[in-house]
Amino acid sequence: MNTLFVRQTLIEPRAAPPVAVAVVERWRRMLFPTPAMSVLSLALISLLVVAGWRFFAWAVVEAHWRGGSSAACPGDAGACWAFVIARWKPWLVGNYPADQLWRAWTCFAAFALFWTWVVRRSHAASLARVLLGFVLLPVAFFALLIGGGPLPLVVPTQWGGLLLTLVVTLATFATALPLGLVLALGRRSRWPVVRWVCGAFVESLRAVPLLGVLFIAATLVPLFLPRGLAIGLFARATIAFALFNAAMAAEVFRGGLQAVDRGQREAATTVGLSDFSTLRLIVLPQAVSSVVPALVNIMIAVIKETTLLSIIGVSDLLGAIEIGAKSPDWMGESNVLTSGYVFLALVYFTVCYALSRYSRRLEVQR
Amino acid sequence: MTTTRAFAAPIVTMRGINKWYGGYHALRDVDVHVAPGERIVVCGPSGSGKSTLVRTINLLEPFEQGQLRVCGIDVDANAITRAARLAINRRVGMVFQQFNLFPHMTVLQNLIVGPVHGHGSKRGEARELAMHYLARVGLTAHAQKHPAQLSGGQQQRVAIARALCTRPQLVLFDEPTASLDPEMVNEVLQTMESLARDGMTMIVVTHEMGFARRVADRVIFMDQGQIIETAAPDRFFDQPGSARLQSFLGQVLRH
Repeated sequence: MNTLFVRQTLIEPRAAPPVAVAVVERWRRMLFPTPAMSVLSLALISLLVVAGWRFFAWAVVEAHWRGGSSAACPGDAGACWAFVIARWKPWLVGNYPADQLWRAWTCFAAFALFWTWVVRRSHAASLARVLLGFVLLPVAFFALLIGGGPLPLVVPTQWGGLLLTLVVTLATFATALPLGLVLALGRRSRWPVVRWVCGAFVESLRAVPLLGVLFIAATLVPLFLPRGLAIGLFARATIAFALFNAAMAAEVFRGGLQAVDRGQREAATTVGLSDFSTLRLIVLPQAVSSVVPALVNIMIAVIKETTLLSIIGVSDLLGAIEIGAKSPDWMGESNVLTSGYVFLALVYFTVCYALSRYSRRLEVQR
Repeated sequence: MTTTRAFAAPIVTMRGINKWYGGYHALRDVDVHVAPGERIVVCGPSGSGKSTLVRTINLLEPFEQGQLRVCGIDVDANAITRAARLAINRRVGMVFQQFNLFPHMTVLQNLIVGPVHGHGSKRGEARELAMHYLARVGLTAHAQKHPAQLSGGQQQRVAIARALCTRPQLVLFDEPTASLDPEMVNEVLQTMESLARDGMTMIVVTHEMGFARRVADRVIFMDQGQIIETAAPDRFFDQPGSARLQSFLGQVLRH
């Protein structure tokens, strides 16, 4: 057969043609592609506009900004930001002594700095950073806040508000992550007894609601403890959080460990690594960095779950707001408490949305 | 040359090895002796047990019956210990079909992690040895890259260098070119041939019959978990003794 085609000069790469769709046209295609979709778009947009306007009217137009008591916010028409403005400081730090407040601010600042640093570093999380952020940082915070030595002692019952939320979240992570890792490894152990104990622990905690665990920690545990060994409510609640989330983290780690290819272990064996070295140098780094997004998601869940603390009488941010609304100055007007709740939602949304975006970015990077 | 080999203590002795995957009889009464410096090629149809055979030698796969002796370490089917597996793996290197490089480490770290953490070498010495073997496989410039930045052929050459860095007495190759694009097969085979010229003891599972003819001292043909035929390459390819090998060669060599 004859040669049918031969190319003598190669085609150089060219730039793709520009997308020549006007902005208006692009929006029209997005919102009104078909009659049915147009109806849906219009319905949703008008819903958004109405709800948005109502909220704007409540939060800005009819809002009350000044005043030192509920008298500033008569009726239940507009938001009562005066309440938030007058009270926000104890909501952030609780009853932390005023002359020691710099310790609390340091923790907030260090936390914000750490996350800024983590987020701005582009490449994926390493084992060292996970340990630093989730274990070392919480321990340092706890030591700084509680004091002792040259610093005056400030017991946890004096902590409150957002500071307490932050501390409980970090303390939960500092204990739940190592414990979760141990549980996950235990479930893959060679020894059946270890497997059974770890499996039973994880499965039973995964099958009960956190609120139930918290109530047990708050009311039942003190009855079982020997006389003289009283553990504070704060500590008990934190332990309950830690154990519960250790079970969650264990499942995440288990997935990460399973995702490491079997060939990785085999290769590690053939270069002479012991089982422990294989785990430490080859398996864990890969398993951990693959589950960091899922761990951040657990962290978001923990932050939101801390609001349950107010139910058992620990004054976290939610508890502090409710206490504020019940104080003599602010009693009697329903919009006071509502405004506090909206402020609470705003604070949680800011923190959790930032973390959620970060976790999403980690997933994309992988 | 043959006589000296016959008298040297074998580096691998497999006696009556039997292995099952559940109810499937994967290795059946396998006997293999490999002398120091020998180059063995193992071939056979897929599922014939050739990969299982080499993976049994370094105890990646346990076996149910028989005795194994590798680099002076005796292992009985009833007493396969982690200590024995560790001891054997510190003397035997392996190259896998899927490379199995450690993706979270640079090329250099891949090469020194075994010597440093498995063999107790000093970091500086391990690094020197690693650079030596990296030069040997022609990848010095890639020492600081991660495996994902390399081509398949380059990754497999790194894997070969990694196996050599532990100073093994024997290197096992489990289909080292089977997952490479055709244009990369040769660079890996050439690396292996140069290793063979240096007298490294090698057991190679491969379908590269040209390599077997050029390099092997003996070729082993397996089918259905058993050794069907063992012969020097000339005889193996030109006068196959069994009908199974004849038909296998007919399939592989016909292009």
